[in-house]
This record gives sequence, structure tokens and C-alpha cells, in this order.
Amino acid sequence: MKKYIYSYFLLLAVAMLLLTSCAGHPDVPASSKEAKSMPAIFPDYCNVTVPCNIAPLNFMLPADEYEACVARLTTPDGKQQTYGNGVKVQIPEEEWHAMLDASKEKSIKVEVWGQKAGEWLSFSPFEIHVAKEPIDEYLSYRLIEPSYVAWTYMEIAQRNLTSFEETQIFNNEITMNDKKIGQCINCHSYQNYKTDNMLFHVRLSNAGTVIVNDGKVSRVNMKRDYTISGGVYPSWHPTAKLVAFSTNKTRQAFHTANPNKIEVYDLASDMILYDVETDSVSIVSADSTLLEVYPTWSPDGKYLYYCKSVPLPEEMRDKDIRTTYPKIQYNLYRRSFDLATHGFGDEELVYDAASADKSVTLPRISPDGRYLLFALGQYGCFHSRHHDADIVCIPMGQYTGTGLNAETASPVDLTPLNSKDFSDSYPSWSSNGHWIMIASRRDDDNYSRVYFAYFNNGKVEKAFLLPQEDPEMHVSLLKSYNRPEFMVEPVKISVEEFSKVFDK
Amino acid sequence: MKILQGIYTLLFGVAVLLFFGLAYPHHLHYQEQYQLFLFDWNYVWEIVRLPGGVADLLGRFCTQFFLFAWVGALIIALLLSLVQLLTFRLANYGWLYGLSFVPSFLLWLFLLDENALLGGIWAVLLTQFSFYGLLRLPDGWVRHILIFVAFLILYWIAFGGSHYYRIPHTFPTLFYAAWFSAIVIPLVIYVIPKSWGQVHKPRQQHILHSSLFMLTFIVFGTLVWKNANFKAEKVMQYDFMACHQQWNRILATVNAEKPNNQIGVTVQNLALAMHGMLAEHLFDYNQNGIAGLLPDVQSDATSPIPTAEAFYQLGMIYVAQRTVFEAQEAILDFQKSARCYKRLAQTNLIIGSYEVARKYLMALQKTLFYRDFANETLPLLGNEEAIAKHPEYGRLRQCAYGEDFYFSDHTTPEMLESLFFSNTDNCLALEYLKAYYMLTGDREGYTQLLQKLSVKN
Repeated sequence: MKKYIYSYFLLLAVAMLLLTSCAGHPDVPASSKEAKSMPAIFPDYCNVTVPCNIAPLNFMLPADEYEACVARLTTPDGKQQTYGNGVKVQIPEEEWHAMLDASKEKSIKVEVWGQKAGEWLSFSPFEIHVAKEPIDEYLSYRLIEPSYVAWTYMEIAQRNLTSFEETQIFNNEITMNDKKIGQCINCHSYQNYKTDNMLFHVRLSNAGTVIVNDGKVSRVNMKRDYTISGGVYPSWHPTAKLVAFSTNKTRQAFHTANPNKIEVYDLASDMILYDVETDSVSIVSADSTLLEVYPTWSPDGKYLYYCKSVPLPEEMRDKDIRTTYPKIQYNLYRRSFDLATHGFGDEELVYDAASADKSVTLPRISPDGRYLLFALGQYGCFHSRHHDADIVCIPMGQYTGTGLNAETASPVDLTPLNSKDFSDSYPSWSSNGHWIMIASRRDDDNYSRVYFAYFNNGKVEKAFLLPQEDPEMHVSLLKSYNRPEFMVEPVKISVEEFSKVFDK
Repeated sequence: MKILQGIYTLLFGVAVLLFFGLAYPHHLHYQEQYQLFLFDWNYVWEIVRLPGGVADLLGRFCTQFFLFAWVGALIIALLLSLVQLLTFRLANYGWLYGLSFVPSFLLWLFLLDENALLGGIWAVLLTQFSFYGLLRLPDGWVRHILIFVAFLILYWIAFGGSHYYRIPHTFPTLFYAAWFSAIVIPLVIYVIPKSWGQVHKPRQQHILHSSLFMLTFIVFGTLVWKNANFKAEKVMQYDFMACHQQWNRILATVNAEKPNNQIGVTVQNLALAMHGMLAEHLFDYNQNGIAGLLPDVQSDATSPIPTAEAFYQLGMIYVAQRTVFEAQEAILDFQKSARCYKRLAQTNLIIGSYEVARKYLMALQKTLFYRDFANETLPLLGNEEAIAKHPEYGRLRQCAYGEDFYFSDHTTPEMLESLFFSNTDNCLALEYLKAYYMLTGDREGYTQLLQKLSVKN
């Protein structure tokens, strides 16, 4: 009897193994009808250019239209492999990375078949181009419901871009000592893509800015008598232990019929410089009539770029900001910085957006200093809620000391990166300057997702969505990816270690 | 005696069933609407991977049935009766039999609190099951090993949990007293000398047995009744009726007893407006100024929901969406709400955010009782013609604001006026606008409105 039981289990195990292998590497359909179109896969990875170290680009066909999907991937060396599990194509990491290695500076050919009403359709093949330049290994973001005022759980997480591993940097539950007040965590920021010097804010319950200085964690309060708030939007100086912050009195208003839904605006905003070593705060600019925001350093640390509002027309100046806000527009400025004295030079206009009835926000200079990225919308400083917001890239070589504008600047063509009629915002550069990352609401107009695009010598390729192990996750996840930031290494401090600074 | 004990357990179970079914049904509805149980492995894994997760999951699973109050009452009755039976089975009580009801009564008392979660009851039950099983093992080293392993497992499935009460970082004393008693009472009975529980004369035994049971029943029964929050039950009833759009029932309820709480008055006024009676009969009912019409939205999970219902019915869809979203985010234990998901799907569908609506509907497809709604609604996404013809969504689309402005923190007559004059078929907006002027005593505003109406006509 025992013998039979063992045989039975052995048979079962073999059958399961066979079944698994069949599910992982299915056969290509013996016969199919030509669809004469590209497959409507999600995410759209057709003809994208990807880094040579990215996680598998898993995708799926729409589950409400197709019953099954099979994909055959062919590498330049002629090797082929098929994948398909229901309507999803999920590629094992090891096999995918081998394919990437074999296709560096070349392409992987992808053929897709979809089963619809019992019949197989074969789609036009597409390619995945593999760039030789890798992407930074880590990415961090805040995961949050795209909320109005209230929120419950939020977390700052880090994702290994070469795999699907996601871990938590911090969450708002562990140190929240008053649920009624709540706790908001935001604005994670790193010095030079590294994590030994970094920070994030904790607001409301148990508030403070958590700063990591050479790996040592502390919590500080940056509010001074002479500042309008503590530090808000940060930018680490690339070499010194200095952080430029804007200080903001931020408010929100809610639309009754506008698809933008929410308007985030500042009643007042200035800029400060925080010295991490001495815990001292100095004012960079504090014009009470204008709004300064989004400081960012040039990669050499010699300039501080920032956005500043242009004065409102005389007749609008005394009116409620909730009525004048659509007229508030920001230009881009910079000031030179002397590291020895911590002194700033005179203000220089870099890009005049207001002259074209636009507003510029979130500037970022490429690591080689040759390109400037920013988000451009019609008004305001919070373009992540503006449907018209797009990313703009301007070669810095065009800037000769006289402010550029829509007529004098020749931006890089970012059509492959931007979406039409959806907010594209929060641009940033990878540390090698070859990958642009943005937060975009293009998939559903509500939940921000992270998109990457290859950038080489002023040419950008089609953007692609952050890959997930389960491609459906981007559809089902009811969280926004907020403030995506590249890192070349993971945050090594655990959630528990961070939480200890709140005990003191 | 065994039959009598069976009857006592049955009596207890029936008492629990009748209490929750008749006197406390809306507490069960309340519980159901602040969770979203998904038949999804990721959802299950996220719960069970945490200490106490199995008890929590079982609690959540049962709570989804609270949508139907009598089913919920039956589940609670069965669980509490099971706790009593297991408490009893763990020791030989003799005439102290009545004590076996103490843990169940304490749990009943715990469940009177709307923040008490059913996972707690399962944690007690799982503990008792484990003890019951372990006591039946033959003595020896196997038993010792199994006891050790059982404690480890028990820690993971029940002991280590903290999601037995909705408010985080709160110590529900009553619950832990019940849990403690479920273990300690049988233990004490087990170790005290057998003679304590023995009375030689059967008649005496019978009398003592019944007397202690009666005493326990009367003392705890009184405690349950005295500690029940019938005021909250009434508020929850109004909320439930508004949720299910039972406008006639609401009017029947307020006619029988005038509400004296804000939610009740808000719901009453909404029902009056739905019947076109608000302006005409406003002062026939209790009023609470503007706070009883369209109250300012507070940062909690409960009070904004009926106001959101009024915003929704009025056609203030963006405002309704925000209010529901905020309410859901204010749920104290970070859970999501099936009711809120449903309304968020509806509001997104009405404003044309189909892909966002799809996300909510896809989640609702994974539920037991909202699946049909999701399946019926998904085909509407993007189907402009079908939405226009839909009796609810089509009407609400027609009622939308014609021009955009920022929503004030307080509802103002200008907002209602703008809404009404965007679509003068929106009788509800006119009812609310008139009521607004009447409640604030703004005769000038009311007169001006009548003038505008006469000009329009």
C-alpha cells in the first residue's frame, strides 16, 4: 500500500512540475489569424528603449477582451523563449536578465498572440531596445491615496529597479501618537543619489524633519522666529552638508466642476539654507510680495535654481488668492553660490514662462549640467494636479545670461515622454543622465505612476511604465507614486531605527 | 442536567440573536460598512501574515455578512454560544455552571461598542479550541512538544494580534478581561478541589445550578442592556436608511419620533427634500439650523457620510466625492469601506473618470455582496448613452454645476443657487435653497430668489 502511496505522490509531483513548466513556457498557437496591428498590451512596452539592468517588463492583454496571451521573445543571438499565463506575460527575473545581457545595444523581438472568443490572433511584432546605460538601481517614492485633506496610511518605500523588491523606508503608523491629528510623511530627499545623507519630513503628530547625517539619524525642527514655516521642499547641496529649502504656507481649494479637482497653492513662500552640521537656518530669499519655491542645486553646487512668482496685476493684488490664483505664474531663476562664505549672488532670470502665459515648476539640471528639465503648466506651482502640465527640457547651452522664453528657447522634443491632456510632473535625472523619470497621471487621470524615458544627446525615446511583477498591479493599486527619486543605493536604516528618534 | 444545560446555552444564544437582530441591527450595518472584505489572495495574505491575522481575517470574513443584520446577529449568537460551550467543556463546573457564561457575556458587553471588532471573538475562540484540543492529548513528551508548538501557532493566529479594536494604540480592557476569563475561569474550576463543586443532594445541586445561571444571566443581562448605546443605534439607523435611500421609511421614523441628533436631522431633511416637502414642511420637524441641512464636513468617518449623500443627491458630485473620500480616509483602523468604494465608483462614473471608477469596481468585483453592483456598472463605463438614460446617473449628470468655482468650507446659498440655475429641473437644489434661507431667517435672500424664479418663469 505504502508503495502505491509513494508512487502516487511522485506522479503528482511530476504532473505538477510539467504543468508548471507548461504554464511558464507555453507553445506558440499552431494556427492564428493575423491582426495586422500592434498588441494592446498594458503597460505599453512596444518599441521602448530600456536600461540594460531593468526588471522584467511583464505585461498583459486586457482581461475583458482576451482569454489568453502568449509572447515569444527572441534575442539577437537567435535564442527564443515563450511566456504566458492567462492574459499575463510574466518573465522570470533570471531569464530576463540573461536576455538583456544578450541584447545590450540591440533589441529583443517580441511576438504576441492573443486568444479572443476561442480564436488566436497574431499581432505585429515589436521590439524592446536595450540601451547600454544602466538605470540607478533604486527608486524611492511615497505611496499615498491621491487624497484631498484627510489620509490614513502612507509610506515612503524604496524599490530595486533591477528586480521587484520593494521595502519600506518609513510609514506614518509607527510613530503616530495622535490618530485624530494624523501624521503626514513627505519630501524624502538624498544628497547626490546616495543615502548616507538624506532627509524626510514628518508633520502634525510627532512632527519634525528626520535627517540622516553620515548615517546618523536625528530629528530637527527647522522653524525659526524669522521663517514662515519649517523647511518644506528640499534640495541637498551636492558636496556640502547644506540643504536649501522653500518655506511655505500651503493651502488647498476644491473645485466644484473642474476635473483638476484640487488646487494647491501657497499664501506665502520663501527660501532658506539649512546647515546640517550646525543646525542653523539662514534666509536665502524672503520677498513678502512674491512666492519662491522648489530650490534645486546645479550638479557642481555653484548655482541654486528656483521658481518665483511674477507680480500680479495691480488690480488683483488685494483680492482673495482663491480668485486670483489662476493668474499666479512662476518663472525660473538662479543665484550663484559661494561655498566658502555661504553667500548668494544676484538673481538671474533663466526661463520666463509667464511671458507665454505659463508657469514653470520643479526644475532639475542634468548631472552633466547640459540640460534643464522642468514641469510647465498654465498657472500655479502644483502641476501634478494640472491636466495641461508637461515636462520641458532645455539645453543649458542656450542660456547665455539672458532669460530664455518660449520664443528664444529651442526645447528638446519630449513628445515621446509627455502624455496628452494628463498631468506629467516631477521630472528627475538618473545619476548618469541617461534616464528621465517623471510622475504621470496618464493611465487613469488620478493615480500617479512612474514613467522612465531614455535620453541621449538631446534625444528622448518613448516613455515606459515602472515594471511590476504582476502587470495588473498598476490597475488595481489605489495609491499614487509620489515624488519619485532615484538612488544609487538603498536606504540602509530600518523603519524601527528611524522611529527611535521620535522616542527622544 | 445535560438537556437543561443545552437549553440554557440555547436560551443565551436566542437572547444574543434577538438583541442584535431587534435592538442593535444598525450597529452591525455600521460594522459592515467600515470594511472591504476581498476574495483576493493578496488581501488575505496581507492580513494573515501579521500576528493575530487569522483571527482578524475570520472576523472580517464574518463581518461582511453584517450587511444583513439578522445574519450578523445569528453569527454573533453562534460565536458567543460556542465560547460558552468551550468554556464549559474545559472544566467540570458542577453547581458553578453559571460561571461558564461569564466570558460570553463579557464579549457581548465588548461588542456593544461600535469600535469592537469581531476578530476579537475569533481570537478567544481559537484560544479555547487550542486548549480544548491540548487537554485531550495523551500525557507524555509528545504532548509537551505539541503544547509548545501550539503556543507558537496560537501566538501567530490570535495572541499577537492587535486588530481587535478599531482605534489603534487603544487597550480594550473589556475584551482582554473576556479573553482572560475564558482561560482563567476553566483553569480555576479545574484546579479547585472537586468537593467545592459537588453537592450531594440532586435537588440542591439542581437549585444551586439554576440559581447561579439565573444570577449570571440577570446581572450580565442588565449590564448589557444598561451599557447598550441605543442613542448611537438610532443615529446609525438614520445613516443606514439614507444609505439605502429609504426615503419613505425615514419619514415614517421621524413622524414616529423626531430626531434629536445632527445626522438624524440631516437625513430627515434629505428625505423631505426627496419628497419635495422640505421647504413647505421644514418647521413641522426638528431643525438644527444650517448644521441640520448641509453640515460642515468633519474629519471623522461617520458624520460626513449622510452629508455626502445629500451632496450626491443634489448633484454636487465633486463635493460628494471629496466628502466620501475624506470619510473613508478617516476610518480609524486604516480599512477601506465597501460603501465608500461604491459611492466613489458612482461619482467617478458620473463625472466621466471612467478609469478611476473601473479601479473601484474591479475591487468590488472581489466582494461577495457588491459584486453584482460592480458587474452591472462596469458596462456603463464610457457608454455615454447608457449613462444618460440611467435613472440615477443620468439625472445627476444633468444636475451638475454649469460653471466651476472653489467649494467653500461651508455650504453657502450662492453654491445652491448656482446649482439650481445650472439646471432649473433640479428641484432638490431649490428645496435646499429655500430651506437655507428659511433656516437662516434671510428674508431678503428668499424674496430675491422668488423674484429670480418669477423672472425665469
